[in-house]
Amino acid sequence: MIRFLFKGLLRDRHRSLIPFIVTATGVMLTVVFHSWITGVLGNSIEFNARFAAGHVKIMTSAYSKNAAQTPNDLAILGTDTLTRIISEQFPEMEFSERIYFAGLVDVPDLSGETRAQGPSMGIGIDMLSGNQAEIERLNIPSSLKSGSLPQQRREALLSRTFAEKLGLHIGDTLTLVSSTMFGELALYNFTLCGTIEFGTTALDRGTLIADITDVRDALNMADATGEILGFSRIGHYNNEEATNIASRFNKSYYSEKDDFSLLMKSLAEQNNMGFLVEYSSKLKGILVFVFIVAMSLILWNAGLLGGLRRYGEFGMRLAIGEEKGHVYRTTLMESLIIGFLGSMAGTIIGLAISFYLQTYGIDLGPMMKNASIMMPQVFRARITPEAWYIGFIPGVLSSLFGTMIAGIGIYKRQTAQLFKELES
Amino acid sequence: MLAFKLALRNLLGAGLRTWLNVIILSFSFIIIIWLKGLLEGWDRQAKNDMIKWEIGGGQFWQASYDPFDPFTLLDSHSTIPDVLSDSVTNGTLVPVLISQGTIYPNGRMQSVLFKGISPEQKVLALPTLKLKSDGTYIPAIIGSSMAESTQLKEGDYVTARWRDKNGTFDAAEIRIACIYQTNVPSVDVGQVWLPIDNVREMMLLPGEATILVANKEGWKTEKSDKWIFKDQKTLLIDIENIIKAKSFVGILIWAILLMMAMLAVFDTQVLSIFRRQKEIGTYVALGMTRGQVVQLFTIEGAMHSVLATLVAAAYGIPLLTFQAIRGISIPVESKDFGIAMAAKLYPVYSLTLITGTVIVVLIVTTIVSYWPSRKIGRLSPTEALRGRIQ
Amino acid sequence: MKKLILLLLTGFSTLYAQLPDGKQILDKIDQNLSSENRVFSSSMIIHGRRTTHTIRLKTWTAGENKSFTEYLFPVREQGTKMLKLEEQLWIYSPSTDRIIQITGHMLRQSVMGSDLSYEDLMEDKKLTDQYIAKVTGSEIVDGHNCWIIQLTAFVPEIAYQEQKLWVDQERNIPLREEMFAKSGTLLKKTELSDVQRINGRWYPKKIVFKDMLKEGSGTEFLIEEIEFNVPIADYIFSKASLKK
Repeated sequence: MIRFLFKGLLRDRHRSLIPFIVTATGVMLTVVFHSWITGVLGNSIEFNARFAAGHVKIMTSAYSKNAAQTPNDLAILGTDTLTRIISEQFPEMEFSERIYFAGLVDVPDLSGETRAQGPSMGIGIDMLSGNQAEIERLNIPSSLKSGSLPQQRREALLSRTFAEKLGLHIGDTLTLVSSTMFGELALYNFTLCGTIEFGTTALDRGTLIADITDVRDALNMADATGEILGFSRIGHYNNEEATNIASRFNKSYYSEKDDFSLLMKSLAEQNNMGFLVEYSSKLKGILVFVFIVAMSLILWNAGLLGGLRRYGEFGMRLAIGEEKGHVYRTTLMESLIIGFLGSMAGTIIGLAISFYLQTYGIDLGPMMKNASIMMPQVFRARITPEAWYIGFIPGVLSSLFGTMIAGIGIYKRQTAQLFKELES
Repeated sequence: MLAFKLALRNLLGAGLRTWLNVIILSFSFIIIIWLKGLLEGWDRQAKNDMIKWEIGGGQFWQASYDPFDPFTLLDSHSTIPDVLSDSVTNGTLVPVLISQGTIYPNGRMQSVLFKGISPEQKVLALPTLKLKSDGTYIPAIIGSSMAESTQLKEGDYVTARWRDKNGTFDAAEIRIACIYQTNVPSVDVGQVWLPIDNVREMMLLPGEATILVANKEGWKTEKSDKWIFKDQKTLLIDIENIIKAKSFVGILIWAILLMMAMLAVFDTQVLSIFRRQKEIGTYVALGMTRGQVVQLFTIEGAMHSVLATLVAAAYGIPLLTFQAIRGISIPVESKDFGIAMAAKLYPVYSLTLITGTVIVVLIVTTIVSYWPSRKIGRLSPTEALRGRIQ
Repeated sequence: MKKLILLLLTGFSTLYAQLPDGKQILDKIDQNLSSENRVFSSSMIIHGRRTTHTIRLKTWTAGENKSFTEYLFPVREQGTKMLKLEEQLWIYSPSTDRIIQITGHMLRQSVMGSDLSYEDLMEDKKLTDQYIAKVTGSEIVDGHNCWIIQLTAFVPEIAYQEQKLWVDQERNIPLREEMFAKSGTLLKKTELSDVQRINGRWYPKKIVFKDMLKEGSGTEFLIEEIEFNVPIADYIFSKASLKK
């Protein structure tokens, strides 16, 4: 029976092709819309994750209570081993050590005495190991305004305006004045290798970025780090995953009594980010729901019109003795087949497009040449499990409902009348 | 002209079917504008929040004030100039005196900024009324991030220490009168808001301020003045850049929504034209040129969207305006400190968005109507009359 | 009636006479603690939240305004030197071969994570130049009879509006100091002990500083060796000597 209907559908392109195209397009749009909205709304969250919070972050319990001040005297010790162990324990996360610190940048004159000085916020990240992950996360390559990334030890990047204010040029020496993990005075020389600009006043005033090995030397933090940030290998923040990993981690590492036990916080647990996480997920819910309702109406309308168009044919079929119920049922079955196949095709195409947008994203770089902006210039979609089935609701059900309503005419009207519509 | 009349008559003659299409199309209009407006509203929320909580209609800064260099705070305070003092008195400018200090929650030392503000101010959303007290204690309000990092709760007392303008140490217990929740970290993290009279007394700086927050735009720096006016645009430059970037991203969403509308048009239009083959045959048989037939159908299609625009305007304008004013409640339960925050989103419908949507849909409808009718126009009238197009 | 008044007056004056003049005591303290110049080595023991660490220093001072300090320990800090002239402070570190000037706000930062700021270290103006001293009573501290002296600042630019000293009545050395905020809150406490006779003067060899608002055990300052009024070459107090 299905095979018979299927053949019919294949042979009568008008009965199949246009509804199929319409359904597939609708479903495709739904899937792409869902993935893109998810990606775009997640953008602020990802941005926060990359620059500050990670998807999860490990700190000592004492550090976490004062995290805004980056108290490196409360740093995590024995990080080499720790990072190795947790990487095995939580393979779903990629861990990166980071040291945030405050200090002064001091510029010498010819005799090595202070010529200029300014307050600075420093970030020590992995830049020299060959792993590009951290450099990419902080969007450093596209924020580079002059010079190059550090290629060797003792090289540092500085905010462009900061370097200008201090009268520094690429290749010049600068001295970081800060305090070590033990509170001692820390003095360390760097060569300025490049200037950066993120497009955010706070970061463009006095940021110094250097390789974490240098920062460790400077701050006497051998085998220690202020924070360990974890980034999910699925590429984006998933609250359930992060919460789950954090609670597993804390079960084995955290103790309320020990100020220096390790505490993992999910992004949502840091700096009011929980609000943003929930807010954007609710907003996404609303947007997607409305979109689906609208798309359902359109597909329902398509189904309805498709059904109405076939009244002539129904009349003929009733005239040659087919039962009303049979006509109705086969019509519904046809609609179901088309809806299902259309939704399949739409979902596949939609996922393919979403996958492309997730992998390569849309590069806004060329469009924003002059605006320097801290956000990554490539915007990406994000495929979540819902994307796999979300298109089926409007795809299968609405055209089916449309056909159901249209098909009611089969029962209402007399054979003769339907037959007449064939003629008209 | 004839084509117009005929097209209109055809449309109205088709009755229910036309109206069904028009309603579906108008619905697409509304959905496009509404969804896009919500997203733009979301993008701008941070900006609106900053205006509401932090920058008001712009700010006067004491000449040496630099928010990114807390050490400038030692010098960045002055008395309010005469030209501005009336505005301060009537509340259109709110003075804020900022100074550095230290608090000791549970014996831990934490550097903070003390920000003195008038409890009666109405320019910023800070719950400053809670800074009113009976004089037996110094009331303070802090944001939830600050509360989290200091582990302070409402009603707690905490030791504050500061140095007055002479560098002399002073200390007092302050009482956390209120913890507020805000999306603007720059009025939350690392700062404690106190009544300005207390801060002035603490610092020995009577009548002085660091910044003056304006209630609305339109101020400018007076010449030879120690106070420099920073307008909203200057203060919001970072966030404006982000909004600009996001608006590029929004184009794709708009494109998806437009495609959805196109689907609706295509769907109704293509089907209705295929169904009207005989009618086309009749037109041609009656002596209309093919061009005229194509024109008629194109106008009919375009008219669909014109009607849809009118219908959409009829119910959409009040609906969307209502939402833009009232905002849409997003049910977020913030677990932090059990403070329920009314998360409202205000959709933003730009003129470009509305006209752009109308024009694009109009063009698309016209094309979608033109394309199939062109094919039909090519057929011989007899074939068309007999309904044999396929 | 007249008699009564006379009695009261004499009574009061005798009572008052029992308490010596505060300024005189401060002068005597100065005789013990101040000197034309001195050379000393010391250790600073800093109790952090997690670790305790020790710094060893050698210091040359002349008068109120010149001082030169060299870090001897830990190895990491070896060769770091600090020069203070008047209100200015320079630090030299051999690892960077740089002379860094510490100014303004940096002076208020803690030295080596201790409870002392650079400013505290530099603050060595005579108490009598800044405070009015009034003896308010006596008390026994560590087995020694002490005068309690209330210090009230008469200059505006001063860190502590009020201080309280417990001064050993025999040796004229303060054994305890308390620094107060204007509001009267106790901010810092210093305890001086291990008072020894050196070159004819009494000198405390152990000083413990404690920030009273903060949790923690404070910072200990131990004088290991001290010489008074030894000749110090002038070049010591020059920037050139930082790099030597």
